[in-house]
Amino acid sequence: MIGVNHYLILSGLLFSIGFMGVLRRKNLLMLFFATEVMLNAVNIAFAAIGSYYGDLSGQMFAFFVIAVAASEVAVGLGLLILLYKKYGSLDLDVISSMKG
Amino acid sequence: MENLVYVALFAPFVGSLFAGLFFARSPKTHLVGVVNSTLIAVAFIAAVTLALHVAEHGPIHVTMMTWIGIGDLNIPFGFLVDEVSVTMMLVVTLVSTIVHIYSTGYMDHDKSYNRFFAYLSAFVFSMMILVMSDNFAGLFIGWEGVGVCSWLLIGFWYQKEDRPFEENPSISPSWAANEAFIMNRIADLGMLVGIFLIYWNTGSLQYDVVFDKLPHLADGLLVSIAIALFIGAMGKSAQFPLHTWLTDAMEGPTPVSALIHAATMVTAGVFLVIRANPLYSLEAVHGVSMFIASLGAFVAFYAASMALSARDIKRIVALSTLSQLGYMFAAAGLGAYWIALFHLAAHAFFKALLFLGAGNVMHAMDDELDIFKMGGLKKVMMGSYIYMFIASFALAGLPFMAGFYSKDAIIESAFNDGSYIIWFILVVTAGMTAFYSFRQVFFTFHGEERYKALGFHPHDMYKYVLVAMSPLAILAISFGWFMDSYHEFIIKNLPDYEMSHHTEHLAPYLGGLVIILAVTGIVIAYKKYAGTGENAWKRDEEFEKSFIYRLVANQYYVPQFYDQYIVQPYKIASAKFWEIDKAVVDGFVDFIGKGAYKTGDVSRRMQNGNLSSYLNWMGVGALILVLIAVISSVIG
Amino acid sequence: MDNILSILIFFPALAGLLGFVVDKHSAKVYGIAVASIELLLSLGLWAKFDTTNGGMQFVEKSDIIPQFGISYNVGVDGISLFIVIMAALITLLGIILLRDNTKNMKNMIVSLLFLEMTMVGVFLTLDAIMFYLFWELSLVPMLYIIGAWGGPDRVYAAVKFFLYTFAGSLIMLVGLLATAYLYHEATGDWSFSILDWYTLELTETQQFWLFLAFFAGFAIKVPMFPFHTWLPWAHGQAPTIGSVILAAVLLKMGTYGFVRFSLPILPDASVTFTPFIMMLSIIMVIYTAMVAFAQKDMKQVIAYSSVSHMGVIMLGVFAMNAEGLGGSVFLMLSHGIVSGALFMLVGVIYERRGTKLMSEFGGLAASMPVYATIFGVMLMAAVGLPLTIGFVGEFLVLLGFYNVSPLGTVLAGSTIIIGAVYMLVLYKRSFFGPLTNEKNKDLEDLDKRELTALIPLVLIVVWLGVYPKPVLEPIDNSVKLLLTQMEKKAISTETKEAIVISKKEAK
Repeated sequence: MIGVNHYLILSGLLFSIGFMGVLRRKNLLMLFFATEVMLNAVNIAFAAIGSYYGDLSGQMFAFFVIAVAASEVAVGLGLLILLYKKYGSLDLDVISSMKG
Repeated sequence: MENLVYVALFAPFVGSLFAGLFFARSPKTHLVGVVNSTLIAVAFIAAVTLALHVAEHGPIHVTMMTWIGIGDLNIPFGFLVDEVSVTMMLVVTLVSTIVHIYSTGYMDHDKSYNRFFAYLSAFVFSMMILVMSDNFAGLFIGWEGVGVCSWLLIGFWYQKEDRPFEENPSISPSWAANEAFIMNRIADLGMLVGIFLIYWNTGSLQYDVVFDKLPHLADGLLVSIAIALFIGAMGKSAQFPLHTWLTDAMEGPTPVSALIHAATMVTAGVFLVIRANPLYSLEAVHGVSMFIASLGAFVAFYAASMALSARDIKRIVALSTLSQLGYMFAAAGLGAYWIALFHLAAHAFFKALLFLGAGNVMHAMDDELDIFKMGGLKKVMMGSYIYMFIASFALAGLPFMAGFYSKDAIIESAFNDGSYIIWFILVVTAGMTAFYSFRQVFFTFHGEERYKALGFHPHDMYKYVLVAMSPLAILAISFGWFMDSYHEFIIKNLPDYEMSHHTEHLAPYLGGLVIILAVTGIVIAYKKYAGTGENAWKRDEEFEKSFIYRLVANQYYVPQFYDQYIVQPYKIASAKFWEIDKAVVDGFVDFIGKGAYKTGDVSRRMQNGNLSSYLNWMGVGALILVLIAVISSVIG
Repeated sequence: MDNILSILIFFPALAGLLGFVVDKHSAKVYGIAVASIELLLSLGLWAKFDTTNGGMQFVEKSDIIPQFGISYNVGVDGISLFIVIMAALITLLGIILLRDNTKNMKNMIVSLLFLEMTMVGVFLTLDAIMFYLFWELSLVPMLYIIGAWGGPDRVYAAVKFFLYTFAGSLIMLVGLLATAYLYHEATGDWSFSILDWYTLELTETQQFWLFLAFFAGFAIKVPMFPFHTWLPWAHGQAPTIGSVILAAVLLKMGTYGFVRFSLPILPDASVTFTPFIMMLSIIMVIYTAMVAFAQKDMKQVIAYSSVSHMGVIMLGVFAMNAEGLGGSVFLMLSHGIVSGALFMLVGVIYERRGTKLMSEFGGLAASMPVYATIFGVMLMAAVGLPLTIGFVGEFLVLLGFYNVSPLGTVLAGSTIIIGAVYMLVLYKRSFFGPLTNEKNKDLEDLDKRELTALIPLVLIVVWLGVYPKPVLEPIDNSVKLLLTQMEKKAISTETKEAIVISKKEAK
């Protein structure tokens, strides 16, 4: 029987994968994907816990996150295109301009 | 009479302002000398009138205005003219008048003639405040005031450069001036402490109030007050161990030495002890009084021994001053206050005369001080010779001269008191005094004319100056004749000191002993130094190399000791402190500042503009937060 | 003239604002005019001041933030009156002494006028928040004066001055807020009025910590050992006018703070801390005097001597009797006048020779006699010669402190010896001796501008030395009142015993 724990483990694994992606990836596009993975890991956890407690607000919140993520991706990808046009690359090491 | 008090006090001040404000920048103006001398003479006449008034009607007490009033403290500018202060006023104004007139001649060629008179009159003013004040704070005003004037006047020829100690033990006038000021300040701290003690225990600084309350204070307290005030007196009167400044002070012009460092300022310490006689004659402070007397006797002998070998004509006189101050303290310590005061006055007259005579010699010898280079000056400087002879006679205490009466009385009272050691020292010193003062006279005025080979062309002082000195000479001879009438006058204010019956019949013998010793000293000096031709004095190089001679000639190595163990360590410690201040105290502050800066400098690298490393740092931060949350939930 | 105090505070600031539009060639004249009016106003205040009343006078009060009891509240008593007059006087003389070719004269004048506002404000305000505001604001013009017109290391010195004093005053601010909080706890009302705080009863522990917080702010400003190291730097780099105002007025803010805040609000802690303060003060007196002796630069000697004298002032503040405390307030004035004058004098020679090293001089008395004379007068006042202004305060402080600790007084009294040592050595090195350095032979003596700035100070030195009564009397009344309040408020019997109430009651 697949219980809430399994969902949570899956969610944790996905979140870790996304987190590692955020830390390790150098390409901005890949960073976006990694954050999407993390968001979806959270969505899974929301949905799972929501069904575990028989409370719909978990799933509702997951939908809400998906909506926000979608709009964010739309804006984000637009910015990425602009960046790519400006620098010809999306590699973070190339486009960093602050020298602390 | 009140107005006369102010006249006596402020006439010198007016003179000082006159010279200082209007003529400070103009070249030598003879008018300044004349006006200032006249003003001091006016003060003298006022003092004489006051003295007559006091003798007839008793003391005068005036209060001008409040000076400092705060809390319970109230210090007025108040002036007391009683038997004691009027004596001092007479001495101060008389000697000052003569010294002022003398200076018009002596400083004739000096380009800072006007400045000199401004300082000199300011000194007289300060000295008048010192002696006339009716409270300890007022005394302290004068006390410091004379200190500053002495500083200005010792350093009068400030342009002279420093020379090494071996060449000139006083280094330079400005050095000597600073030394005098600083050493006096050490003593002044003692005096201030005495004033504080008096205030907090009697609630006042007025002489009359304080002396009324003194007998009711605890013994320990009285002793502390007595010691503290005497420390003050030690500085001004150059008692051991604060004596080295007095000989160095001879760097100042000679009239200054005569007035300040012989006749008046240096006797201020004695005056203080006399003024505070209700304190020092208390049974509880008998120990302190005995200490004063012993120290006085010691200094008398100590200074006389140094004078035996000195070659510098002014140093000899300065050392004899020191020695005579010792006599005065001995008398004051033994309770013979009026005798101390009488000797103070007598000494002022003959010592000023001696100094002025020495000044004439210097003037004639183009500021040469070494008596080895003089000799036989009698022929060219008859007037000065006679004056110095009279003064030395008086100093040596030969019969019928001023010093005879006063010094004999001191020596007798030491015997009478049963302090035979003090008596013995004083008697021996009397012999030494006669020797060294005549050694100086014979060296200078008799013997071979050594100066001729050195190319000096001496000439005596202006006539009017010599005439102006005559009152001093007359007093040096005759002052002692008035001892009995003075005694009658002064004991209205000071405790009487009577010889007890068991010494009275011995008095002639004791006096005779002193005279014999003095005459012996003079005869030895004459034999040794006054000869001409074959009998002429020759330098004894062997003797000059002996330990005793070097010890005495080097002032018992006291100045060297001070330099080595006080001045140098102070300099080194100051430099070290500065290092510490920069390295440790400021270093610590800078360390904190730099620490903050370094932290920023290191953590700045996190802001490298790379999103990926930002994200890494964010991850680290998030992990730390999670860890903290976990740990705190486990602990909590 | 009911709101003369507000005029005194804000007139210089308004005039300073207007100063921006003044023609730059007439900036100095404008500055002199404004500072003169300010001085006249402050003298007018003195004339109207009721010298027999020890309490606050000319009090003005209007709410700013009533919810927190913060108000605009000013008043003057015998303690603050003369410091304000001195601040106005020193500012005026400082502006007069400015050289006509000072660069950016207009900015200098404007900075000085703003500085004057903050100085007057600090001493007149009776509200803790306003006090803190003026206190911090005073740093800004000074920072600018040092940083813009200073010597080669001016930036370091200015930043050090700013950060050091700023750090201290932040801790002080915490103390002020805590006091207000405790006041709220005790009475239920919010108030930042110092006069209200005087009535606040605090336990000894509370007093202990509050005292430390105030101490941090005030001690750095004074500056007490070991927090003094910013001062030689600031003086070393500041232009003459900066040093003059810093030494004469800004340092007094620290000691004034102790008198206005620490003593009356925290009487028990003040008595408890007396041995500690005494120790620091004695170290200040002796140690910095020795450091001063080791200096080669004239200005540094005076800078360190300033610290040394501030030690004496601190002793007087904690003497807990009218003689010592009043003497210490008087000494604040005399130190302001004398050290201000000494810094001006050093500035004079620096303008002529471009150096302040004593080894460069020697024999100046021959080439600049008037200069040497005025320097000599100030020197004598600095070493505390009777009948100069320096003696009265020093004497009273030592006299007062003798009642607290005879040994401490003797140690601190050594100031009259070692103070004389470094001052006389400075004078001998610079003014006595032969004129050896060619460059010193044709130096011009003081000109009219310099004499105008210095002669008033000389006159004050003599006047208040001979007749200090007009100043001492109001100080005496206020100080007695302060001590009476302290004694009434003290909770421990030791404190009550330590505070000496004069037999002649305050009026």
